[in-house]
Amino acid sequence: MKHTVKRILRYIGKYKLLLILSVFLAAVTVALSLYLPTAFGDAIDSIVGAGNVNYNKLIKSLFIAGGAIALCALLQWVMNVVNNALTFGVAKDIRRDAGAKLGALPLSYIDFHAEGETVSRVITDVDQFTDGLLMGFTQFFTGIITIVGTIGFMLKIDWRIAIAVIVLTPMSLFIAKFVSANTYKMFSLQAKTRGEQTAFAKEMIENQKVVRRFGREDENTEHFDEINEKLCKYTLNAVFFSSLVNPSTRFVNNIIYAAVALAGSLVIVGNVGAITVGGLSCLLAYATQYSKPFNEISGVITELQSSLACAERVFELLDAENETADGEIVPEKIEGNISFKNVSFSYNKNTKLIENLDLEVKAGQRVAIVGHTGCGKTTLINLLMRFYDVDEGEILLDGVNIKDIPRKVLRSSFGMVLQDTYLFNATVWENIAYGKADATEEEIQTAAKASRSKGFINRLPKGFETVIGEGAAQLSQGQKQLLAISRIMKGLPHMLILDEATSSIDTRTEMIIQEAFARLTEGRTSFIVAHRLSTVRNADVILYMENGIVKEKGTHEELLTLGGGYAKLYNSQFN
Amino acid sequence: MKKLLRYMKGHTLECVLAPLFKMIEATFELLVPLVVANMIDLGISESNRGYLVKMSLVLAALGALGFLFSITAQYFAARASVSFAAVVRSQLFAKIHRLSFSEIDKVGTSTLVTRITSDVNTVQNGVNLALRLFLRSPFIVFGAAVMAYIVDKKSTLVFLGTILILAVIVYTIMFISMPLYKKVQGSLDKLTLSTRESLGGARVVRAFGMEAQQERKFGEANSALNRVQRLSGTISALTNPLTFVILNGAIVWLIYSGALRVEAGALTVGAVIALYNYMSQILVELVKLANLIVTLTKGVASGGRISAILDIEDEKLDGEILDDGVAIKFENVALCYGASTEPSLRNISFELKKGETLGIIGGTGSGKTTLAELIGAYYPATEGTVSVFGLDVDKWDKKALREKLAYVPQKAVLFMGSVRDNLKWGNEGAPDEELLDALKAACAYDFIMEKDGALSYSVSEGGKNFSGGQRQRLSIARALVRKAPVLILDDSASALDMSTEAKLRANIKELPWNPTVITVSQRTSSVMHCDKIIVLEEGQAVGIGNHEELLSGCAVYKEIYDSQFGGAEK
Repeated sequence: MKHTVKRILRYIGKYKLLLILSVFLAAVTVALSLYLPTAFGDAIDSIVGAGNVNYNKLIKSLFIAGGAIALCALLQWVMNVVNNALTFGVAKDIRRDAGAKLGALPLSYIDFHAEGETVSRVITDVDQFTDGLLMGFTQFFTGIITIVGTIGFMLKIDWRIAIAVIVLTPMSLFIAKFVSANTYKMFSLQAKTRGEQTAFAKEMIENQKVVRRFGREDENTEHFDEINEKLCKYTLNAVFFSSLVNPSTRFVNNIIYAAVALAGSLVIVGNVGAITVGGLSCLLAYATQYSKPFNEISGVITELQSSLACAERVFELLDAENETADGEIVPEKIEGNISFKNVSFSYNKNTKLIENLDLEVKAGQRVAIVGHTGCGKTTLINLLMRFYDVDEGEILLDGVNIKDIPRKVLRSSFGMVLQDTYLFNATVWENIAYGKADATEEEIQTAAKASRSKGFINRLPKGFETVIGEGAAQLSQGQKQLLAISRIMKGLPHMLILDEATSSIDTRTEMIIQEAFARLTEGRTSFIVAHRLSTVRNADVILYMENGIVKEKGTHEELLTLGGGYAKLYNSQFN
Repeated sequence: MKKLLRYMKGHTLECVLAPLFKMIEATFELLVPLVVANMIDLGISESNRGYLVKMSLVLAALGALGFLFSITAQYFAARASVSFAAVVRSQLFAKIHRLSFSEIDKVGTSTLVTRITSDVNTVQNGVNLALRLFLRSPFIVFGAAVMAYIVDKKSTLVFLGTILILAVIVYTIMFISMPLYKKVQGSLDKLTLSTRESLGGARVVRAFGMEAQQERKFGEANSALNRVQRLSGTISALTNPLTFVILNGAIVWLIYSGALRVEAGALTVGAVIALYNYMSQILVELVKLANLIVTLTKGVASGGRISAILDIEDEKLDGEILDDGVAIKFENVALCYGASTEPSLRNISFELKKGETLGIIGGTGSGKTTLAELIGAYYPATEGTVSVFGLDVDKWDKKALREKLAYVPQKAVLFMGSVRDNLKWGNEGAPDEELLDALKAACAYDFIMEKDGALSYSVSEGGKNFSGGQRQRLSIARALVRKAPVLILDDSASALDMSTEAKLRANIKELPWNPTVITVSQRTSSVMHCDKIIVLEEGQAVGIGNHEELLSGCAVYKEIYDSQFGGAEK
């Protein structure tokens, strides 16, 4: 908590001058606006009755009031602009750090944290934190000045009445607290039911096509309405009770107002104090202003607390460990010899995965990795691309430990297509050109042709200019894979990684793509993960993995004659 | 938004009473300065203590009455807005269930979820606040002017002039800042998108070494957001100082001109104070009104988003019912999705008799699923006619038509609930024995029986507690429970091994109600036993016939077959 505050101050530190200016402006504007009733009171006091108006005093006090009004308004505007610069500036700075962080986070962080969660840290939490903290701060600050100021002015007019007001007003705070304590329960019931409803609506809307194929429209609507009715009841309670706060505090304030009016006028009539009619009107104005910050401050404190919580969540993200330091050896020419030396790795310390793996791949070899789900196939890819680093041992590329090669150099030497294809919210063209901003028309066309995606791209509403994303043309899983393949077809990487790259593509297209791959990979080292064994038969080496260990190694024919795990797996697919 | 208001029906009373009671409360508030003026002019100047006490009690009573009317109004407003939101939510949910598939594709499901949740909530807040404040604030503003008229006729002009200037200022600022506010939302959306790409696409970003570009893109979105935020902030920051100047300027004028008239004996001091107080009340109310306007514009925007969905035409459902003749017939059918110029399917013609089996095979994106979806009229054919049991699907009563079809989709979707709940989607009234029969036929009986509670075993979100193959078999069983005369299997056995699939095929052949079966697949082994096979290539039928005919007469079919069997049998 203390640590969080310190870091927030560090971010604000850059805007120290703005902050000081903001505080100063807040103090001046509050003082000026509080002074205004006094000036008006003086003006009113100079109007005594018919034929009895002190014009000198009247005009003087009205001029002072006018000056105060103009100055106050001007400073208020400047203060708002300063506060905006401060708030939005801090938000921008924090987001800039967060944006840089996104590219530096290790894959392990990204894999093990829900995407929506991290997104909400960068977007919503930063917003709420800056809004809440800085606005809360100014409100809190002006609130305090207002309270102190009004007390001062009231004491100056009549100390007895002032003390009565000071003592009575916090009553409204107690009422507000009492109401909000009761509302909390209803809000949590409402939130729970709302969650239930959202989950149901989400499930049914996202799978709307299945719903409709089974004609479940009526059943769904009925169930939805049941939850809806419950929600309606809880919401009504929550909304109603929370809306009691304002009338209640207003009620207390009105009573105080009546009391001040009575006490003030009695003092004037009894002539027991220096109070005047103008003074009474002043006092009434202050009594109203005095109670206002109390209502606000109770809200401000919760706001400050929640904004601190938001800040903490943002800092948690910024504090997450970065990828380890980058290597510095840039190989002149990449041949593509890869060797795993006694490599051990696991995602979590309790379950072992890859242990003491040794593997030699010569430049230009086509290596297929097969095995049952969870045997560590994809993990090998993660290690090769340095998405994860080995726990023990080393992986060498042409004799150089890949840890010593800059990640960018290492990764760009591989062309990679994964089973879970990721396409960006951009046009088909931009998606294929990804990683090569200066790609020519011809390169893109050739890549699309080689991956056999030109046909379906032309059938999209806007062809290559079709934006891929929500609401746009829906691509099947197979079509997405074809686009991802086009993406690597345009460049000529030194090595290839195909992790179930063609799993959703029909076998005939797959064969054609395989041929294109074969041409592309001629003389290039390639790693192919596949569960469809028909696609790996031609590999130079097949690695059959079981529980993180390479159990069998050899060509298709060799492994079949061996009659081990691979042969069994193969036969299960082809009867 | 206007159309949404019809869902307010049944809450007319609350909608009238809530603002009315708020207005009564406001009237009490407006009386306060008048009472204070009387205390000064009658009580203080004549030293009438009894009168002062009486008037203070009146002030307290006004406060108490105001409190009672106010909470009653809050209750009515809460009830009306919450019930209204509930009706809108329910209508929207039902509407989504009546949209055609092409509309759902066009709108996108995630925005539908947002509209039914957060947009409806925004509308609810807007309605609630509107009922409470929308009449109250203008009422206080104009009420203050009316009271000023009662206190001093000549000051009314000052009040009306002030209100007019304020209205112009507030409206102008809103007019300028509304589009800016939309721009802020747009920039925020871009930033969100960029963040999501850095996370979801992390592997691709890094594999292509695009981290720096991604960060730059993020930085640009971030700076753009900052710029438009500051611009809109600077403009909306004008509202408060400007209203402050106008109102206090008016007060200065009131006191000065009041002084002149008090001097002349045309006005009392109490009256001047009352006028001053009324002007101050307007100031307080304007601050509330500004907040209200923000909430209301958001509410109207959300209401518009909801109306947009409700306005989409329903899928046309009614028509005739017929059950005769040929099961399925396509005549020169073509289909174009959305604005696409190249058809996804063209020139498809074939006929399938009752009880026959049809296989549809082809490459990725060749139009297999599209063809199957035309049978249920989920998408209408752009050209040609599709008939089911002798009647054009356009003329069919869609509900009756779809009851004749049992469709197993590519992606096996299971819902939260028990296995039994999921199976009953096929037929709500099916007894357990029928469910078990369907499980047996779908080769799912064994693994379900091993689960705790068998049919009562609960399916977790997205069916994650079953493997891909198990989900597919459950999804098939669910369709079998329906006992529909047409069964469509859309690549729905892709995760099953060959032997299980063969067994499944045999079981389907033995089904007692002898359905017409349509199998969509990429595997020749799945369709080679069908009575008729359609080979699709880029939206066209390049071959129709049985396995032997196609093997000798259709090059594409042979290639597909060889790619799967050729190598393996060598």
